[in-house]
Amino acid sequence: MSNENFRRELNRAFDGMSGQPSPTLARRIRSAVAQPPAARSYYWMAAAAAVVIAVLLVGVLFVANPLHRPTSNVGGPAPSPSASPSASPPATPSPSASPTQASAPFQCGTTYGPITQNGPAVAYVSDVRTGSHPGYDRITITFGNGAPTSVEVKTQSNATFTKDPSGQTVNLRGDSGLLVTIRGADEHTTYSGSTDFKTGYTKLQEAQQVQDFEGVVQWALGLSGNTCYRVYLLTSPDRVVIDAQTGT
Amino acid sequence: MSAAVMEQPPQILARAAQGDQDSFSELIEPLLDPAYRLAAVMLADRGAAEDAVQEASVKAWRKLRQLRGDASSLRPWFLSIVANECRMARRTRWWSVIKVADVDAQDRPQPESYSDLHRALLRLSPDDRLPLVLHFYLDLPLDEVAKALHVSPSAAKSRIYRSAKRLRADLTMEEVF
Repeated sequence: MSNENFRRELNRAFDGMSGQPSPTLARRIRSAVAQPPAARSYYWMAAAAAVVIAVLLVGVLFVANPLHRPTSNVGGPAPSPSASPSASPPATPSPSASPTQASAPFQCGTTYGPITQNGPAVAYVSDVRTGSHPGYDRITITFGNGAPTSVEVKTQSNATFTKDPSGQTVNLRGDSGLLVTIRGADEHTTYSGSTDFKTGYTKLQEAQQVQDFEGVVQWALGLSGNTCYRVYLLTSPDRVVIDAQTGT
Repeated sequence: MSAAVMEQPPQILARAAQGDQDSFSELIEPLLDPAYRLAAVMLADRGAAEDAVQEASVKAWRKLRQLRGDASSLRPWFLSIVANECRMARRTRWWSVIKVADVDAQDRPQPESYSDLHRALLRLSPDDRLPLVLHFYLDLPLDEVAKALHVSPSAAKSRIYRSAKRLRADLTMEEVF
């Protein structure tokens, strides 16, 4: 078969496959080109709609918080809880409360919680730090593998606490106190820092671990003056932050 | 058709690139017929071919500023958009419809009137048909085939020859070019 024969037969076959375009094709295309891009951008519109729906969904989930896991007891920019390095200099960047949160009000003389939240069977304490800031002294208890299942803070009018399970009585510095009870927690497996901070701060004068037994961790806080405090349960990393209000 | 494109003054292309729809239509309309033929052969579905050409035209209109070179580059550039659109059309509808091309090629009894060459052509994949359409059916010179395929002229020549050999194993290079 010569080149010309091959080409002729091939083109005949192509003709059979394609036929003629519709006489309206050019008009159709003029019309399509004349349409504003927005009218044709179905995929972009669908993508934009999907993004909007996703953002709304995330927003609703965030607000509704279906897991009932508090990220803080109230909203509020808690100032950086980078506890004072006087206690134990952090090996990692200081955890800080979200700067977008509004300051939580201090509560005086009342019990906090117990607040329950989802978390691992045992949340291991990885770090404990204290720090002094304008308006409050802070203790931060950080967990390495998730949040503890329950947190409770009780006030008391003295700084005397009972160690558990020994039953030994300890007198902390200060004349009032807070007893922080964290259930579903363990402080002896991954935490090797201090269990007794004698801070020298004006408000939070001492913080001492008084229990680390059967999944319950307790910290006793010796305060001077009244017991106005606030609690944050924060994430990334998971931590319990307790601020004792100064100047009161 | 080829001459018509070549004779487009550069000003028309410049005006089209600046958003003048009439200038764009003036440029693109001579290319609709080859574009349709290309799409029809690739898709083996005339309705889908017109849809592909329409979508390719809209894309060309949007991306005209990306065209490199003068008006002579327009045809291979546009035909490459059409070919891409055909590939996309095949990919996006594979799950929803049985492609006519496949039915034709594999299942549907082929008319007795079809020549051996026609039947062999239907058995080729669309991407194998593409260089043959560009070179033989649309009669594009080798450098334009190369531009449309985004390959070098020598690679385009190889692809044309390879596809042609799939149609007739005993073809020589001289018979193809």
